[in-house]
Amino acid sequence: MPVAPSHPATFSLPNTDPDSATRSTDTDASHARLSAARLGYLPDPFAPLFVTRPAGVSNRPGIINVGTWLRTRSVDELVEQFVARTAGEGEAQVQVQVQVLSVGAGSDTRFWRLATGPLKDKIARYVEVDFPEITASKARSIYKHRELKDVLGECTLGGGGTSLHSAVYTLLPVDLRQPPSTALAALTTPAPAPPGSGARAPLLSRTLPTLVLAECVLPYMPPQAGEALLAWAAGAFGGAGVGVGVVLYEMFGLGDAFGGVMRENLAARGIRIPGTLPSLAALQSRFTSAGYARSSALTLQDIRTHYVPPSETERVAQLELIDEWEELDLVLRHYCVAWASRGLEGEGGLGWGLQKAGGAAGE
Amino acid sequence: MNDLDRQIEQLKRCEILPEPEVRLLCLKARELLIEEGNIVYVDSPATICGDIHGQFFDLLELFKVGLWCPETKYIFMGDFVDRGFYSVETFLLLLAFKVRYPDRITLIRGNHESRQITQVYGFYDECTRKYGSATVWRYCCDVFDYLALGAVVDGRVFCVHGGLSPSIQYLDTIRSIDRKMEVPHDGGMCDLLWSDPDEIPGWGLSPRGAGFLFGADVVRTFCHSNDLDLIARAHQLAMEGYKLMFDRRIVTVWSAPNYCYRCGNVASILELDEDLRQEYKVFHHAPPDPRSVPVKRPPAEYFL
Repeated sequence: MPVAPSHPATFSLPNTDPDSATRSTDTDASHARLSAARLGYLPDPFAPLFVTRPAGVSNRPGIINVGTWLRTRSVDELVEQFVARTAGEGEAQVQVQVQVLSVGAGSDTRFWRLATGPLKDKIARYVEVDFPEITASKARSIYKHRELKDVLGECTLGGGGTSLHSAVYTLLPVDLRQPPSTALAALTTPAPAPPGSGARAPLLSRTLPTLVLAECVLPYMPPQAGEALLAWAAGAFGGAGVGVGVVLYEMFGLGDAFGGVMRENLAARGIRIPGTLPSLAALQSRFTSAGYARSSALTLQDIRTHYVPPSETERVAQLELIDEWEELDLVLRHYCVAWASRGLEGEGGLGWGLQKAGGAAGE
Repeated sequence: MNDLDRQIEQLKRCEILPEPEVRLLCLKARELLIEEGNIVYVDSPATICGDIHGQFFDLLELFKVGLWCPETKYIFMGDFVDRGFYSVETFLLLLAFKVRYPDRITLIRGNHESRQITQVYGFYDECTRKYGSATVWRYCCDVFDYLALGAVVDGRVFCVHGGLSPSIQYLDTIRSIDRKMEVPHDGGMCDLLWSDPDEIPGWGLSPRGAGFLFGADVVRTFCHSNDLDLIARAHQLAMEGYKLMFDRRIVTVWSAPNYCYRCGNVASILELDEDLRQEYKVFHHAPPDPRSVPVKRPPAEYFL
């Protein structure tokens, strides 16, 4: 909320911040995560900790829960594979860790789930960036809940409460529509040295395998800004036998009637999605022109049908009644998970990707 | 103007009726419906409509295309309520038409005309929001129990909400069902309201958890055994408003345009003339109006 105007003549300042609508999509995401967690789709003890008054948040419709479940389990799978595979190769296994950069991370709980799981020692650094309003709110949640802060260890706040630093986890305010070479410079340039000592290492290193996550981020940006971000990541990390991976989750293919209604409905909330692409092929060619050697993309519908083990599908089918299969299919066909890599070939990363579920005998 | 005509005019303006009037309307409807068989026999010409789902302003579009009752004789194949914002007004308007012009409109039960389903998909919440208690929801559910399970036009076109059942080979079998109850979880009555046609041989399990999937051979046999030209059903979103399958022996008619204010689909009604010739009339959703999607209600949700 804007601060009360100091001049009494200006009574009502209109909300002229066009980004507030885009930021509000994080509330959608965090409520959807809370709903899916409560109903047992994705057990996530951290989900309620990033929601204001979680008890007052009602559960989402089944269709939204299924989408949240598919999105989260797919990105989880890609992250876990990336962390496990690229860290396990080479002579000195123990030293080989990975770093993760999550852009537009919002209230995502993934770091806490990883840091309390079996892969926790493989994460050298985990950086989340988002609008300052979002990072400030996330930093407050972290300080408010022991369950979150204890995982981080010693923390320091900066930037007027909009950034947070700890040994592994860092939270930074960034406007991703600015050129990444300047907006994200703080990640790759050495931090200012304290008097009397040498320069500190940059937050993210060139010598560690790097995974970049962008869930529902690029659609809200101008197309050129999204491309620039991907190209920057391909160039800023990796090299000489060290790989870079990217995982995207976003809506696409909105040239049809469903897409037209989606644009209208989002516009009614003030949300614009100029960066959506027309097809999975377009997502892959965006990766190619940004410098990635390999890429794949699947719709959530593909994933639900072919990439989820039947036992998991059956478990989830018991959680609540889903009557609207045609609508569910229609919505799931307009969202995709896409992943791309550069330089993973030398690290045994060729098999990185979602795998078809075996033994599924039809529907 | 008698009470019923006044109520119809009021409902056409999307205004709810007071609770005591709803009670009387539902009682009168039950008296009528109890006299109807499980299958209602209708003479052509008739206009067949699919799911409406509380999209009241889109129902007005339907009547623009198909003309009002009683000018046109209608068969509505269920799913009047849930999902949309105006299930109360939608169901009460159709019910008022039924009471006022019993021979000009047939209401068939859909799988959403059920106590269990309406508590999940919105009709229960809408009733308690608009009336402050669940009383109107209870009145309506008591009417649901008396709705017909199907209709047959000129003995040649079978209308049903969902589809066929492995336990029903003949229309006569349907006539012997005791329908006056909540929709059961399995059995013939459940299947009629829940099943879907699919590109499979024979019968298959439904992903919906109720009813069955049935293939072209099942439809061919059923049409042959019962001397039918066509099975008209609803129950599944059809982006183009209708979908013919299996050598045009079965059609899905879908009458909720831009379903859930999210899908972007068109809708249709099926007009059968005196010779049972089929004409599908396609219509679009109501133009954006502050009333068609209430200001206080959020637009449809997405995975953002």
